[in-house]
Amino acid sequence: MKKNIQYYETFLGLLYILYGILQVYNGVTNWWLQGEKQIQLGIKIFEVWVPNTFPDPFSGFTLITTGLLFLVAVYYSKQGFTKYIGYLFIAWLLAMIMLTLNIIEIIASFLDAYYPLLYSEKPNFEWNLSTDTWGIAPHFILGLLSSPLYFDLSNFIKELMLKQ
Amino acid sequence: MTVKVALVGNPNVGKSVIFNNLTGSHQHIGNWPGKTVEKKEGIFEYNDKEVYVIDLPGIYSLTAYSVEELIARDYIIEEKPDVIVVIIDASNIERNLYLVLQVLELGAKTLLVLNKMDLAEASNLHIDAMELGKLLGIPVIQTVAPKKIGMDELRRKILEIAKAKKQLTKIRYSSDFEEAIDRITKLLEDYKLHEEYSRRWLAIKLLEGDKVIIEKIRKTAKGKEFLKRVEKIKELLEQKYGNLEMALIDERYRVIKCIVEKVVKGEKTLTASDYLDQALLDKYLGIPIFISILWAMFQFTFIVSTPFSDILGDFFTILSERMAGITGFTRIDYLLFGEYGVLNGIGMVISFVPLIMTLYFAMSLLEDFGYLARAAFLMDKVMRKLGLTGRSIIPMILGFGCNIAGVYSTRIIPTEEDRIIAIVTNPLMLCSARLVVFTAIATAFWSSAVGSILLSLYIIGIVLAILIALMLKRFIFRGITSPFIMELPPYQMPSLKVAVTQMWIKGSLFFKKAGTIVFLGLLIVGFLATTDASTLSFTNDIEYSLVAVIGHKLQPIFTPLNWDWRLVVAIIFGFIAKEIVIGTTAMLYGVSEEEFSIFLASHYDPVTMYAYMLFVLIYVPCIATLAAVKHETQSWKWVIFTIVYETLLAYTISLIILFLGRIVFPGV
Repeated sequence: MKKNIQYYETFLGLLYILYGILQVYNGVTNWWLQGEKQIQLGIKIFEVWVPNTFPDPFSGFTLITTGLLFLVAVYYSKQGFTKYIGYLFIAWLLAMIMLTLNIIEIIASFLDAYYPLLYSEKPNFEWNLSTDTWGIAPHFILGLLSSPLYFDLSNFIKELMLKQ
Repeated sequence: MTVKVALVGNPNVGKSVIFNNLTGSHQHIGNWPGKTVEKKEGIFEYNDKEVYVIDLPGIYSLTAYSVEELIARDYIIEEKPDVIVVIIDASNIERNLYLVLQVLELGAKTLLVLNKMDLAEASNLHIDAMELGKLLGIPVIQTVAPKKIGMDELRRKILEIAKAKKQLTKIRYSSDFEEAIDRITKLLEDYKLHEEYSRRWLAIKLLEGDKVIIEKIRKTAKGKEFLKRVEKIKELLEQKYGNLEMALIDERYRVIKCIVEKVVKGEKTLTASDYLDQALLDKYLGIPIFISILWAMFQFTFIVSTPFSDILGDFFTILSERMAGITGFTRIDYLLFGEYGVLNGIGMVISFVPLIMTLYFAMSLLEDFGYLARAAFLMDKVMRKLGLTGRSIIPMILGFGCNIAGVYSTRIIPTEEDRIIAIVTNPLMLCSARLVVFTAIATAFWSSAVGSILLSLYIIGIVLAILIALMLKRFIFRGITSPFIMELPPYQMPSLKVAVTQMWIKGSLFFKKAGTIVFLGLLIVGFLATTDASTLSFTNDIEYSLVAVIGHKLQPIFTPLNWDWRLVVAIIFGFIAKEIVIGTTAMLYGVSEEEFSIFLASHYDPVTMYAYMLFVLIYVPCIATLAAVKHETQSWKWVIFTIVYETLLAYTISLIILFLGRIVFPGV
């Protein structure tokens, strides 16, 4: 693996872990400790945090796992072990799954708000990114940042497909 | 005279392809008598000789643990085929040789087929077939079944071996074991017991403590006396090696290792699947990856199904309004379409059809990809560390769909003790019926994280099942745990067609259940809810109805859990089918699917409802599951045990959660 890709993956891994810890913290304080304040690490655009670290400890756990997988992949790659590719692929796959989930969540939430318009009723609620529970979450931003790694994994994915 | 040949091998070694190559269209497929295992037999002619071929079920060993193993073993020892053809996967020789050694113990004339030689070569494995044959003392041939390579040699060798004299196996175990085998063999000779079987094989089976063989010998005239003498021989070995069945497994693998070192050259090159397994089955990250995938699956299920569930809920609300007064009979109208009507309850249940369909769609994709088998492998490691059988993982996973299927699938567990443990703990697995209840409640309190709440309940169910199993193993059943050999299927691209079919089948089944058992249950609740307790006539005041009387009578028991009488009634009727819990709750509060979440959130707090969900998760399983428990244990004792322990555990855990919740959240 090229050095610059290793640095990029390390950076991604650390970001996943950082946002994962934040989400676990927000989840624990919000769910179990009745804390109102949540820590956000991003920029506020028209009252909307980007990324929006919504409270959910299990989601945070998944972000941390993805980050660890990226870091383990980098570690094995530095050691010269070819097995790094399996870890990198799973990390990338989890990143893509979370990106897709975030997109589906936004679409489903939008549909849930406005489907009554189909039979000329009032919307269930007014939907916008600030009312959406996920919004533009770390899953979305970090997923987008992880997507170029496909080019590093394309040969592995092709081999996996060929085996089938 | 016809030559009789039996094909034996592990699953997925290409046995069926070889069978088809040999017999062509001259084959017959049926079932083994009294079993649901497929029986394939066929005929071919070679050099004017007729050869009858039977394709025995795919097995990993010749122990008597599964139906397939018993069928294969019984056929070999009772029918005594002229030649046993053991087919092995050359690219996975180490694991496959285990069955070869067991076949050789039987003392039958054997031919070894190294199939998939092309894959072995592609993986950089070079096998010295000649040397392997010398070490095992049997002929070895190499084949590539799909390309029909080696088939002619196979036919020729079969006839050669059929004509030849008896083979003498060269496989020998450590001197301690060989000495014990010799002593038991001598005893068998003296007692003239079961002379139709190979004495060496009988001796090994007696050392292993094979229940079927011991029983056969016990039934003979001097059987009991003989077994006492065998026990004395075993005692000496057990002092040194502990469990002899396990020790013999180790012995076989020791021999296999020596053989492989001598005959296999080159290091296997890793494939993409191997690399994937290294990550997915990682010692430290395997379980976190598993939890992450489960989380993603539940989030996907909930997110995708929500708009569709809401549309269905709206449909039933509108339908209820439109149907009001349609029959002309006040009572029937009120019972079916009223505020507390059956349509309201059934609509609540049916609105979750999209949830069930999405869940099975996601699960089918994971299964097709090959991940569920890896998940079972990961859990097996955990179970074995705790001293429990890894075989109970399959019933646990099936239990997530439906506990009835989970209970019936415990048949794969060989020992009675382990099987009963798996049966009575299976109802703790969160089935799809309870998933409906939990999704409805979780949406009311944790709408942004329903997937996480569901995941927490799944984890609690698994942890409780393991804890109960450990307690049963420690205090009631103290037997040994049977070994579990598991084959991981190759990864493959999930089929969308299969996933959609699964989704459709499961959705239809849920719909059918809602229209039959659930409908009937809700009809009973509805009838009781519209019958005045004192006059037994119609009432539209639910507080004076029969159902309210039942609820009020039982409510004091559940007062510490903060439930009102309606939640108590819902729990009681949930005994018929778990979906009824949510249908009854909606009916008795007189709310539609649309208003359910808002109503629940305004009447209860999250702690009480989380404790309520835990109660529903743990308490008495539905009546059909209990019938399955009775059927599989053949005892009312275990049915009563399941009812009692689950109810007590449900009450205790809910109370603890409520108590802790009140300490952590004093304001709630």
